[in-house]
Amino acid sequence: MTMSRLAVKTEHVWKEYRIRHDLEGPQGSFKAVLNAPFNWLMRRAIRSPQVQRFEPFFALRDISFEIEHGESVGLIGRNGAGKSTLLKILSRITRPSKGRIVLYERVNALLEVGTGFNIELSGRENVYLNGSFLGMKTSEIRRKFDEIVAFSELQQFIDTPVKYYSSGMFVRLAFSVAVHLTPELLLVDETLSVGDAGFQQKSMAKMKELLGSGATIILVSHNDRAIMDICKRVIWLDKGAIQMDGSSAGVAEKYREFLNVSVS
Amino acid sequence: MSHRLVMDIANREGGISPIVVTPPSSLEMPNFRELWEYRGLFFFLIRRDIKLRFQQTVIGFLWILLQPLIQMLIFYVILGVLIGVPTNGIPYPIFFLSAFVVWQFFTQVVNYSAFSLVGNIGVIVKSYFPRLALPLSTVGTALVDFAVSFLLLLVFLLMNGNYPITFRYLLLPVLLVITIIFSSGVGLLFGALMVVFRDTKNFLNFVLMMWMYITPIAYPTSIAPEKYRVLFYLNPLTSLVDAYRWVFLGQGSLPRLSYLAISLSVAIVIWFWGAIAFKAMENRIADVM
Repeated sequence: MTMSRLAVKTEHVWKEYRIRHDLEGPQGSFKAVLNAPFNWLMRRAIRSPQVQRFEPFFALRDISFEIEHGESVGLIGRNGAGKSTLLKILSRITRPSKGRIVLYERVNALLEVGTGFNIELSGRENVYLNGSFLGMKTSEIRRKFDEIVAFSELQQFIDTPVKYYSSGMFVRLAFSVAVHLTPELLLVDETLSVGDAGFQQKSMAKMKELLGSGATIILVSHNDRAIMDICKRVIWLDKGAIQMDGSSAGVAEKYREFLNVSVS
Repeated sequence: MSHRLVMDIANREGGISPIVVTPPSSLEMPNFRELWEYRGLFFFLIRRDIKLRFQQTVIGFLWILLQPLIQMLIFYVILGVLIGVPTNGIPYPIFFLSAFVVWQFFTQVVNYSAFSLVGNIGVIVKSYFPRLALPLSTVGTALVDFAVSFLLLLVFLLMNGNYPITFRYLLLPVLLVITIIFSSGVGLLFGALMVVFRDTKNFLNFVLMMWMYITPIAYPTSIAPEKYRVLFYLNPLTSLVDAYRWVFLGQGSLPRLSYLAISLSVAIVIWFWGAIAFKAMENRIADVM
């Protein structure tokens, strides 16, 4: 057995969402309102919460895998396959319904650029606020501040309220904060391509640099070609379950076959 | 099982200690160490909230000063002048303000905390951070207002001349700690309620309005008939307000230490109740979307 270091381990993870049925007609719902207190009492009495009005939906079914330190893993699958849910659980935005995950490394999740940005605040204030939301320490943001601003090429506007920024400027600043995280385990959700072509190139270079520095990366995308470019290993999800887990070339081939079959 | 344990320990070397994520349970304690690690977030949340409150207004930060002044004027004219509420010879503006600074802090913390989960849904669904930072940081925001109102009160007291700053002020930090814990606890409870019942939004206004009337802010406790007075003290804010008035005005007597200990205990129990309820609800809110 090799003694390589684990980055993350998921064990039999399930995620259940409850879908509310609002299909009753107006009369039905009026009756439901009248009965509500009694239903509530009944539910308390028989201890079976919300049996009738909710139907369980499993976004993830029995997901287990291990990812080692320094691996780059792609998650692919059709819409609704559970990729985003899995990423949300790994980034601790939501908790699993069953099973557990163990995170051995400091996690940073990039599910969108500019989390917590507020247009009334200046660029400088937003860098600090956004960095804090992403889990950076204040001293770390302060240390990297000049670098972040230089990367965004917004030196003259850094004390201007963000509401006067163009959308391109906004994205550039937000992305600059994101790429200056020093993650051990980075979770990314299709936020790779932002800004104009020049800035995109810079961003990709930064991503590759992160990979080179030995960070573990988990990347979600609909675009299996983008994933092949960065990831050596791919996990393919369908209907909440793992369909295949292996080398990116092998999985991508099967995945394309599957897509072609289900289209035709 | 033992194999897994060995692996976990082997993995722990070098990196951070592993974080185990499990399904939510309904009884989770706040993680104080993690909150401390996110102290930078607290600071920037407080700064954001203070800035945003006055960003769109013409006179901006002056509002912090005007709000207690205007409230004081309204109550002074109606209760002090028109109705003539007895205040033991204390000028009504000073009498009112000495309790209102506390009340203002309480309502602000409760209001801001109640809306903190719902109002920050955008960042909740897109990033991980201890959600408790949202309601807890509102204490800092409200403390800024409190500091300004407190200075305003001091100006009034010193201008009047009969109410010098004495040794009694030594009790102020103790009272403030109890007030912070109690306000934050009530705020957390309403923050948790807001996730399950959106009606809480409307309901909260009435609760706070009623709560203000049953707390002796605009009138003295002595106005209540003797036999009902004990009911007043079921409201934890009543004894707090009395204690503040003792500090500022020398009215009444030094609150007994046992009473303060009870107030503190009640505040702490309510805080933990609120924090546990809040933690139970924060797990839901990301899934509701």
